[in-house]
Amino acid sequence: MNDERMKELLDNADRAAGAPRFHPVSAAGIRRRLRRRRMVRLGVPAAAAAVLLVGAFLWTVCTRTREATPETPTPRIVALEERIQQLQAQTDATLRLVHDVLERDRAERHLAALEAKLASIGDPMKEIERQVDRAAFGMLYYADRLYNELHQTESAVEAYEEIIQVFPDNQWADVARERLSEIKKVRINKSEMKGATKWERQRV
Amino acid sequence: MAVMATQTQEQALVERFRRGDDSAFDTIVERHAAEIAALAGRLLGWPQDVDDVVQDVFVAAFVGLRKFRGDCRLRTWLFTITINKCRSHRHRRALRFRRVTMQEAARDPCTHDDAEQRAMDRETFARVRRAVRALPQKYREVVVLRYLQGFETEDICGLLGITANVMQVRLSRARTHLKKDLAGLTEERS
Repeated sequence: MNDERMKELLDNADRAAGAPRFHPVSAAGIRRRLRRRRMVRLGVPAAAAAVLLVGAFLWTVCTRTREATPETPTPRIVALEERIQQLQAQTDATLRLVHDVLERDRAERHLAALEAKLASIGDPMKEIERQVDRAAFGMLYYADRLYNELHQTESAVEAYEEIIQVFPDNQWADVARERLSEIKKVRINKSEMKGATKWERQRV
Repeated sequence: MAVMATQTQEQALVERFRRGDDSAFDTIVERHAAEIAALAGRLLGWPQDVDDVVQDVFVAAFVGLRKFRGDCRLRTWLFTITINKCRSHRHRRALRFRRVTMQEAARDPCTHDDAEQRAMDRETFARVRRAVRALPQKYREVVVLRYLQGFETEDICGLLGITANVMQVRLSRARTHLKKDLAGLTEERS
């Protein structure tokens, strides 16, 4: 079968089939159709939502009505329900007891931990006294070095007096007082020695 | 010159439609409806009624005409829409029904009766139509556009969005199918 023959056959077959039927289309009709399609697109979900809402409403109403008018239970069911309630109450009481015991145990353990922590901390007053004592001793050591090694008597006296002033009740304040009295004695002796020498010179 | 005049007229119609003149669209429908119905009928295998497809084509044209740039002729643009609508129409129909085969398509809806049909055997034409209808869609499209619509290669390629080589291959395979299906007929004819 060549190309022309095929074309002829197809043409004749097409012509024999005749023109297909269709309804005339107009712009107004298409506008109506588009409007209808848009309405369907919007309307179907809206209708579905409305049906759902009505269904939900009816279901709620039915449920409430059923709750409001309970059926008359048989004695056996009543007995079983009472038994269930008793068991429920017992279970609740046991659970409460267990909960209380556990709570008390937890509180005791917490208290013990706090006490142990408190015991590990030393007396703060003793610690302060120790620190004060240490400071007083440091100042005394410094004053002693001024006096004995550097021979700065005035500075040493000032340091001793400061110790007495700052730490009047400390043991090292007593030591400082002793040091001061010794220094005074030494000074008096020196002045006496100087006075005798002068008198002896005048007599000669 | 005639083509240019036609294109100018079409552009004027489109412009009128864009300005809100519905009568311009009615004119376009009046001019092209028959051609579109014929093309749809051929692409869908000569059903009796192509109203759905024609309506769909003009609805799509109505919606898309404002964006029509005039790169091609209005007729070509409408034909492209028609081809697409026929494809989706067939696809929808295929989802609903089983695929049409040669055996299933034995019933031909055409009952037309004229002088030419009397001259040739009615059954012969029905058989030709069945053969075309049984072709795969891509082959049927090129056969219809080439032999029945009389389009040139360039136009067919533009309408279907394929290259010339692809079109030739499809046409060749379609011819092979048809020759095979109509072999007995050619023998009878010869």
